[in-house]
Amino acid sequence: MGESSSREPPRITLGVGQIALDLAQPIPEASDHVRSSYRFSDPALSELPLEQLLEALLNLVQEALAVDTVAILLFDEETNQLVARAAKGIEEEVEQGVRLPIGEGFAGRIAGERVAIFIADVDHADILNPILREKGIRSLLGVPLIVEGTLIGVMHVGSLTPRTFGQSDLAVLQLAAARAAPAIERARLFAALEHEHNVSTLLQRSLLPKRLVEVVGVEVSARYLPAREEVGGDWYDVIELPRGKIGVVIGDVVGHGIAAAALMGRLRTALHAYSIEGHGPGRTLELVDRFVQSLSEPAMATAAYAVFDTYASTVCFSTAGHLPPVVVSSSGARVLDVSPAPPLGAFPYGRCPEVEFELESGEMLFMYTDGLVERRGVALNLGIDALASALRKATTPEEACLFAVAELVPEDGLQDDAAIVALQNSVVPTELHLRLPAQPKTLAHVRRVLRRWLINRGADEADVAEVTIAVSEACANAVEHAYSPAPASFELHATGDDGEVTVAVRDEGRWRPPRGSNRGRGLSIMVAAMDDVQIDRTDIGTQVVMRRRLGPR
Amino acid sequence: MSLADVHITLARHALIARLTGEIDMSNAEDMGATVIGATPNEASGVVLDLSDVEYLDSAGIYVVYGMRASLQARGLSLVLVIPAGSPVYDALRLSGVERPGDIAETVDDALRAIDGSSRAPD
Repeated sequence: MGESSSREPPRITLGVGQIALDLAQPIPEASDHVRSSYRFSDPALSELPLEQLLEALLNLVQEALAVDTVAILLFDEETNQLVARAAKGIEEEVEQGVRLPIGEGFAGRIAGERVAIFIADVDHADILNPILREKGIRSLLGVPLIVEGTLIGVMHVGSLTPRTFGQSDLAVLQLAAARAAPAIERARLFAALEHEHNVSTLLQRSLLPKRLVEVVGVEVSARYLPAREEVGGDWYDVIELPRGKIGVVIGDVVGHGIAAAALMGRLRTALHAYSIEGHGPGRTLELVDRFVQSLSEPAMATAAYAVFDTYASTVCFSTAGHLPPVVVSSSGARVLDVSPAPPLGAFPYGRCPEVEFELESGEMLFMYTDGLVERRGVALNLGIDALASALRKATTPEEACLFAVAELVPEDGLQDDAAIVALQNSVVPTELHLRLPAQPKTLAHVRRVLRRWLINRGADEADVAEVTIAVSEACANAVEHAYSPAPASFELHATGDDGEVTVAVRDEGRWRPPRGSNRGRGLSIMVAAMDDVQIDRTDIGTQVVMRRRLGPR
Repeated sequence: MSLADVHITLARHALIARLTGEIDMSNAEDMGATVIGATPNEASGVVLDLSDVEYLDSAGIYVVYGMRASLQARGLSLVLVIPAGSPVYDALRLSGVERPGDIAETVDDALRAIDGSSRAPD
């Protein structure tokens, strides 16, 4: 090791410390140094994530130079500071989050002037970082980390005993820096991208429904499938609507990353808000289009919106530039031929026509985004056909989602993100046997179940309205009877044959004489609406059995 | 989804409350209280528009009675808008009750009824 004089600075002085840059000196006994320094070019290093890469570099440098401390500080552009990022022997630097200004002190001047600096005696040098002295470091050598002319940080080594770092030490450290800098930069960029990916994925997740609504008459399943690398702006939504209807949305914002995910959140909210205002699917999409047009930044998206009427078993459907849905029935799966309107945000005053079709009992409507069916070099039609083929054996929405994912998502993940949602018109049972919580909000649920069941039994509009109000009144009585503090329930049984329906409502509460005139009114309604009403009150509960012949009265 | 909604507007001397959705024991009292609470004393009456109510049961009818009593105590009239054949019309028919207030076919008819019954200061 060269005994270069600590009192004769070759280029610039730093306090009473020194700079060792006399590269003209021969490198003596370089063999060990050089051998270990070859390892800096190990291609495996470039595969490591940032933290592991830094750790590996610290170890290599410590071994190659036989030093007590090694530290890597990275340049933070936002604050114009060096931030201690990895250290060995002086881990406190990182733990305490040491930040140092550029241009001052040991590391700061290495970065500011982009020179190597050697300090023979720390006690007599201009050192800003107190940790270096506290740790008892006596001598220091540091070099800048530079990638394509841009400073990215500083690496320095230290010795707890006075040591004169020589030319060969400097050469090894510079070699390490030259190898490390691009690898660090690459890993850092990758980590930043990964961070953005994680943030967008989180954002995307938070913008999608946490739980699908449970609506009488339908089964629904949905998936969001993130892409291999980038997050996108695909979404689905299921919206409960008045009058026994349910809205199902699928959409895809053009673009990727956080911006696309954020715009998706806005479009999902806008569509949801317009739909509950009572607009049909076509008008809802038109209003979302106007919303997209009104945004200050240019934006585009495709979306399809289906409103399923659980009473009539019909779907009203509209699409703005979106791929056609697939209808799955017991006889197979078919792609619906619907001509799409232009995408949302594409043309001023875009019009979204509606089509209506039947979704028979047991049939499923499957909606998806292009990420599911698009493959590089493969025609879109083939992807859609492959989807229809994958779905033909599905008997439930959950199966449809499982089959679609199993058949269409490649082993190494999707190129583009995808969303899927499947809705099934559930089969109406011939008899209803329900046990229900004795709560006021149960009544609306009972009415939805009963209306669907009555329509399925061939009841006309008047039958449906009158039987529904009578049964709801009987259930309201059961709810009122339940005054035990424990969670109470009641039963509803509905049967029908020969054009007649019989509904029984049983509770375990004690009969309560009607309070005021309104409860008595409930009984009058039951009697007026049904052909026969039997009320059986005992100590163990109350049973109301009602019959009505269906058809014109 | 909320089961029902209240849309309140003021026209001439009357408050118009249009109810939509389904009204049963889970929400009837809240709906009634909302309308009563929104009615200013200067109004001469309340138009309760039930044309777009899809379902109303005895709990709802009871609340309408309560509203009428509460408004009468303040010297205000209540006119219901219940077109023939609407779900509320059928519910009232089934319950066989006397009218829980004056009944009109349309909101305009209801407003005229209120104007006619009040001696407006202007």
